[in-house]
Amino acid sequence: MYNTKIKILNASVRLFNENGIDSVRLQQIADESEMSVGNLAYHYKSKDVLIEAVYERVFDEFNEIFRHYLKRPDLADFDIQISIYYTFFSRNRFYLSEFFKANNSTAPHYLQWQDCTAKMLLQLRSRLQFMVRKNELLPEKEPGQYELLAEQIWMSLVFFIPKSNMIGQHYDEISYKKNIWNLLRPYFGPDGLEEFRALIVPVLF
Amino acid sequence: MKPRFNIDIKAYDALLEGLNQQYFVEKRGDQSDFRLYFDDLWLADTAVIDDVHRSRGAWAVDLIFASIHNPLKFIRRHITLHSCPKRAAQQGEFMRRVAAKDQRGTLSVSIRSLQICKN
Repeated sequence: MYNTKIKILNASVRLFNENGIDSVRLQQIADESEMSVGNLAYHYKSKDVLIEAVYERVFDEFNEIFRHYLKRPDLADFDIQISIYYTFFSRNRFYLSEFFKANNSTAPHYLQWQDCTAKMLLQLRSRLQFMVRKNELLPEKEPGQYELLAEQIWMSLVFFIPKSNMIGQHYDEISYKKNIWNLLRPYFGPDGLEEFRALIVPVLF
Repeated sequence: MKPRFNIDIKAYDALLEGLNQQYFVEKRGDQSDFRLYFDDLWLADTAVIDDVHRSRGAWAVDLIFASIHNPLKFIRRHITLHSCPKRAAQQGEFMRRVAAKDQRGTLSVSIRSLQICKN
């Protein structure tokens, strides 16, 4: 992609995050990208086309995160993936306002979001199963316990940043990651706890 | 937005299960896995068979090196392509004679060596 297009997309995402997609005008995007509206229109004919391009890039980034699944079999691998999730969700905060619109079921990206979030949840479940099998996590005390935990982790990954904004709480990557690890911590077995103390505690706690 | 490839969610689940599995099932290889590359003495006692067949609209010449002791131990190598079948056959014949230990064709494999049971 050309540098100008990247510049426009970056400026659009910044403005969408601050003001929401509906309240941003092409003039504002042009000002933010330090170019004329005419030049902007040369690259993206209309705001709809621009939004499509923004979403296309967002889904590319989202799908890229899934490739980081279990590159290494230790806890640090999950820590790296949480970092990438943080970068992604902090950079693309506008997605929530779009997602919770009253009538968005016809939007073409609605199904894409559903698909990506379903994959994300599935990966989390699968990772927990892997950790149980590797004796890092204790065996399930009740059936479905780790499915519930996976959903909790998923909610924290997705909604931690909007929640912090909502209650006016400062957040950064460390607090984001701590939140996830604190959810997992009570379920660690002796092996998992040892690995957690060796790999994660020195960096985060 | 251009249509995206979406993997079926059940297939994706199976894929993740497979990724999980590999850490428990797959083991590190050792030096013996590379024996194929340096243990090539058996190639001295092989019958060389030329095979001309159609491939991608042309005639392909392959050479098959089959051990005379155990014909099931063989390797196949693609040599060249020709548009003319006669030239391909001629090329195969030349290449076979160049590659064979004995040009007269004394080293050969027999179907009996395969010990096929016809019951």
